[in-house]
Amino acid sequence: MNFHNAWLVFKKDWLEIKRNWQILTPIIIVPLIFSVALPLIIGLIGNMPDANVSNNQDFNVLIPNLPISVQNMLANMTPNMVAVYIMLVYLFAPILLIVPVMVSSVIGSDSFAGERERKTIEALLATPISDSELLLGKILVCFIPAMAVTFVAYSVYMIMVDVTTFSTFGMLLLPNVTWLIMMFGVTPVIALCGIGLTIMISSKVKGFKEAQQISIVLLMPIMGLIFAQIFGLIFLGPLMLIMLIGIFAAIDIAIYYVSIKIFQREEILAKQ
Amino acid sequence: MIEAVNLTRKYGNLIAVDNVSFKIDKGEVFGFLGPNGAGKTTTIRMLACLLSSTHGTATVAGYDTQKDPIQVRKSVGILTENPSLYERLTAYENMDFYAQAYGITDFVERKKRIQELLELFNLWDRRNDKAGTFSKGMKQKLAIIRATVHKPPVLFLDEPTAGLDPESAKEIRDLMAKLSQHEKCTILLSTHHLEDAEKLCNRVMLMNKGCCLLIGKPDELREKTSTGQVIQIDLTQITNTILQTLKNSAYVKEVNTKPCETSLWISVEDIRMATPEIVKTIVEANGQILGVNMLRVSLEEAYLKLIKAEGAKTQ
Repeated sequence: MNFHNAWLVFKKDWLEIKRNWQILTPIIIVPLIFSVALPLIIGLIGNMPDANVSNNQDFNVLIPNLPISVQNMLANMTPNMVAVYIMLVYLFAPILLIVPVMVSSVIGSDSFAGERERKTIEALLATPISDSELLLGKILVCFIPAMAVTFVAYSVYMIMVDVTTFSTFGMLLLPNVTWLIMMFGVTPVIALCGIGLTIMISSKVKGFKEAQQISIVLLMPIMGLIFAQIFGLIFLGPLMLIMLIGIFAAIDIAIYYVSIKIFQREEILAKQ
Repeated sequence: MIEAVNLTRKYGNLIAVDNVSFKIDKGEVFGFLGPNGAGKTTTIRMLACLLSSTHGTATVAGYDTQKDPIQVRKSVGILTENPSLYERLTAYENMDFYAQAYGITDFVERKKRIQELLELFNLWDRRNDKAGTFSKGMKQKLAIIRATVHKPPVLFLDEPTAGLDPESAKEIRDLMAKLSQHEKCTILLSTHHLEDAEKLCNRVMLMNKGCCLLIGKPDELREKTSTGQVIQIDLTQITNTILQTLKNSAYVKEVNTKPCETSLWISVEDIRMATPEIVKTIVEANGQILGVNMLRVSLEEAYLKLIKAEGAKTQ
């Protein structure tokens, strides 16, 4: 495989994406809501002395799952502080996993289905770029922006949390080990999984919208993780996150090989 | 340069291309002629390794399309049915992407080649404009130039003048003629515009319903469908003596006139032999000749005749 060819496909697609507001708007707006609006609202409300953010009973199922050191720390806090701490540090962490999947879904859906809709696919498939180079190029153009947007979203979120809560807690709540593993470990493997599946869908369906609608389903496992943690079924601590990294890495490798195997130039062309 | 042997492509029960065989020599401009659905695009796609054949073999620039698709793709430049341009990229960016995709990695060499082509075809001033802002004719022009950026020995042009106004179509035809001279590549041109074939092609293959009906020079195509040749002679006046003398001539098959016109349309077997004899006969019969035209069957007439005959055969 010639990496230069894959990089070439990446550069060409990225140039197009940069000039396409239909794609850029959702990948800027949604992370902005998650990383700015959520911590701002929760953090500011938590600062109000008479605000009642949540009844601690809401978190009773979650608190026993937390590390002992965190439980001890929470024991010395007011109910409002406990609620704000749990929401900002634990509950919203998996919500940010939606960002890489959403970004890769928007860009990945456009990969082959978009080229087909704009009738540029035939000339591209006629070039000597091999199937694996083409696929890798399309993966890169989803992965690099998805990771960039997610890292920016994580960073903004952490800054917003620390800025809005420092006066109340007297310490920086983020980053912690869980968040670092989430950022640098879980996010890339989940993004790759979403990208692989979205590109596979994009190469099999007729249009961009069809691909995007189907790829929304990929958000379901993330939502599952969020609700499982809320209901105390799992706790996304370092050990669980490392296990998730292993599972998703294995799925990513499988998806890449299956994608190459089922990638059919003729089928892509026939869908025109 | 290109050879197809019994090339066949089926889609389920539908036979899109049926046992087509042909050979195209180096430097030749070869035309696929036929109505929509004749199998022209499918044949080009098989030759460009975009589709596999159900049966039969093909070689392009010495490479087997089944065994060596990457080498075939490297040797071929293709204009697809649509211009396939990235509309958000500029003309230069489009050319640059395809130049690199076809292996021109050296920046200076690439820039020189792109500049040469864009200047040659008067698009250099528009190089920084997005392709989406171009007119249909300009897009087609850019797409054709793009197909030649890597100096391919073989060029496939699928319906290059389709959907263009007469002025743009002429411009594209001129561009193809210029390309054929400048790039010296073998060109396979698919079209249902007979003017393209007539003006550009050395040989044509007439296709219908996936089958090859005929391969030959445009002149041969005319001759095969022609039932004779016609001479038009304009006179100051037509007299009965002239008509009678002509009807008795051994060179004349049929004489036709039109009311209120002083022209004769004379069907003959061999136009070269008959013309001087007929002129002599008319002069001897005291006719005053204003002009002599040898009428040929147009390629369009020949094409329609063959397609019609094929349709009648299959019914």
